[in-house]
Amino acid sequence: MSGIGSALRVEFRKSLASPVLRAITVFVVVGIALLSGALVSAALAGNAQVTAQLGHLAGTTGWPLLTGLVAQVTAAGGLLAFGVALSWMFGREFAEGTIAGLFGLPVTRASIAAAKLLVYAGWVVGVSAGLVILVAGAGMALGLGTVDAGVIESLARQFILTVLSGLLAVPAAWAATLGRGYLPGVAGTIGLLALAQIAVVADTRVAAWLPIAAPALWALFPDQVDHWQLLAALAVPLAFGVLTIRSWRRLRFDR
Amino acid sequence: MPDRLSVDDARYDFGAGAGLFGASLTVAPGEIHAVVGLNGSGKTTLMRAVVEMIRLTSGRVRVDGVDVTSLRARDWARVGHVIEQPFAYPEHTVRANLEMAALLHGVGDELTATVDRALGELGIEKFAGVLARRLSLGNRQRLGIAAALQHRPTLIMLDEPTNALDPAGVILVREALLRHAARGAGILVSSHHLDEVARVAHRISVFNRGRVVGALDPSGRDLERTFFRIVHADDESRTS
Repeated sequence: MSGIGSALRVEFRKSLASPVLRAITVFVVVGIALLSGALVSAALAGNAQVTAQLGHLAGTTGWPLLTGLVAQVTAAGGLLAFGVALSWMFGREFAEGTIAGLFGLPVTRASIAAAKLLVYAGWVVGVSAGLVILVAGAGMALGLGTVDAGVIESLARQFILTVLSGLLAVPAAWAATLGRGYLPGVAGTIGLLALAQIAVVADTRVAAWLPIAAPALWALFPDQVDHWQLLAALAVPLAFGVLTIRSWRRLRFDR
Repeated sequence: MPDRLSVDDARYDFGAGAGLFGASLTVAPGEIHAVVGLNGSGKTTLMRAVVEMIRLTSGRVRVDGVDVTSLRARDWARVGHVIEQPFAYPEHTVRANLEMAALLHGVGDELTATVDRALGELGIEKFAGVLARRLSLGNRQRLGIAAALQHRPTLIMLDEPTNALDPAGVILVREALLRHAARGAGILVSSHHLDEVARVAHRISVFNRGRVVGALDPSGRDLERTFFRIVHADDESRTS
């Protein structure tokens, strides 16, 4: 890929200055930690309305309640937020007309697309780490007890879930490319989300083999998803990453 | 020395009579070649074909004698263009935009010096720290042209470069184009401002319905009348 170094520098700068990525960072890191912390606080205070909404987490308390809630919110909200971020990163070039300036360059469009995906992946890892740190801080502030090996394992699982949620949103990049704008990417993300949620509700055994549903299921019910099923989730970003780069390489405005 | 740009019998049909229908032209080193035509005559489509935004149905486009379909990636560093939209990311400053454009055009060393020179050439030094979204249309246009020229390409293509510019900006761009042509760059400019292109172009081709149908003498009189005579003659010949 010609000019990948320059493409990485440019895409890194674009992401640093992006108000969209900044807002989504705050939404995912602060928003999910605050929302989950507030729900745990309300449940601990005996708020019946909140405890009635806890679903399978009813009856749990302390760290398991907090990490369980964070996982639940991340599985849905995280995927949507990451999908919007990717839709913006790719769709903006079409929607704002800057794509014309990305033709006729020594840095190939395949390199630019790959750089966007790499910068995005780095950002996802940073956001995932930030969320875990904030959740750990929220748990300690709420006085949920000592951070033992079980808690660390839950937080590590949360980190992996957030990273995987980010990676599972990669089809949004392809949708934004094919649809030449933000909205097709967002629509694709909503489609993925709906598919994952329906699969989990319909049959957890089937959902465990569905790459886009397996990470969320694993975060909530670790014993229902094995490592092979979890690893299979990586097929989604790999396949759609390749498709996205290929689409950028072949990009034409023939229609 | 081969032409900086050579287009032979380029064809591409968008439907409804739009596209390229046998367009041919050349741009020699040191030459400013202007194409003038009515809206939808195919001027922009021609430039899009050069940078492969569209894939021609038939015909050839060569840059420095090499077919663009077999041009190596690094050879595109010799090309600079503004087609449709200027290179201007709204949330970045003018300087940041120019730095990013320079990186994408293969400028590795002397990034700061390259950008400083471009800011000066297009008279936008005082906007260096201003976000592109706060620029007037004319200054955004200057930014786009600076981004296309700063890496000193040998083929420059500017689509309606003076459209949004004030008279001072028009003069700056004119002088910049003459300077770049003097160092050997071939420049293709599209416009419908006949008087303006007459001041800067060495050659003016009239574009109509996707191909070159005649030429105007840059030093000739009453360019507008001659332009319309050529266009109408072409329209008549196609309907008869």
